[in-house]
Amino acid sequence: MSSRDHTEEKLERLVSQVLRDQPLRQAPASLEVRVLTELAARARLPWWRRGVASWPAFVRVPVIAGCAVCVPLVWVMSLWLATRLVTVTRSRIAGPLATLRGTGHTLASLGAATTHIIQSIPREWLLGGIIASATVYAVLFALIAFGYSLLCPRPEYSKAH
Amino acid sequence: MRAYQDMVFSTAVRLTANPAQAEDLSQDVFLRAYQNFDTLRTSPKVGGWLKTVCTNLTLNHLTRHRKRWRLFSEVFSDDTREEELDSATAVFDSVLSELEADERRVRVEQALEHLPAHQRIPLVLYHYEEMPYQDIADRLGISLAKVKTDILRGRVAMASLLAPGALGAPDSRRRPPSTQSGAQS
Repeated sequence: MSSRDHTEEKLERLVSQVLRDQPLRQAPASLEVRVLTELAARARLPWWRRGVASWPAFVRVPVIAGCAVCVPLVWVMSLWLATRLVTVTRSRIAGPLATLRGTGHTLASLGAATTHIIQSIPREWLLGGIIASATVYAVLFALIAFGYSLLCPRPEYSKAH
Repeated sequence: MRAYQDMVFSTAVRLTANPAQAEDLSQDVFLRAYQNFDTLRTSPKVGGWLKTVCTNLTLNHLTRHRKRWRLFSEVFSDDTREEELDSATAVFDSVLSELEADERRVRVEQALEHLPAHQRIPLVLYHYEEMPYQDIADRLGISLAKVKTDILRGRVAMASLLAPGALGAPDSRRRPPSTQSGAQS
């Protein structure tokens, strides 16, 4: 065992001793009052606003039996409704769907044509075009900025800052 | 309730380092106990039940804010130097041998409250709740290595908080009578 391990072990032992020697912290006096107040408030609630476990048996049993019947019933009903909804929706949106599909085909062929055109342009021309556009854009921006600063001089107070 | 309220409150306050939150959590624990009153009334393990429920509720509460302290916990390295360990050992040694019980209680509580959450929580779980490292890692969702590093660094950080002069505490260690009289004169 290295000296570091020995020191770590000693430190652990000392910390344990210091912490476990600590007495319990005294709970605030308000804790008991708060718990009792909350319990009294819960006791005042009518049975139907409490948890099912605390409902009277003559209510709890029929409710649980009713739920046992209702759950599969609701499940079957929702399946039936979902099937009906899908059928109705499909017939209603068939027309708009066909239009959308047509538009999609047109857009796809347009995209293919554009790609074909771009691929047929020599790469040097494309690069030159991009560089020329960027240069024109930068020159125009500089000219507009220069013109703006000439035409709209800054007020005196902002110059001071 | 009176028999257990200090134990429940202590468990919560040591983990949260926040008396107001600890009181809220203790209230929840006792309300749950009243829901299981019929089972617990005759059980000899009521203390253990309350402690477990309190620890779980508090950790659930703390994990809601875990991202905050986990972030700091991620940035770790076991770079605690041997001199730091030696110095921490000396501080805890002197806390045990030189401080009066009352003052020790106050200083330890203050030091725990000042520890960052990512060091305090595993430290409290290990030393007070006697949870093994692996259980702490599983419960907090961090690696075993991180748990060990955080606990070790927590011990060293706690020692620096307990050192004389830290946290504004005066150097009130017990001195031999001759030194005390010398200081008075």
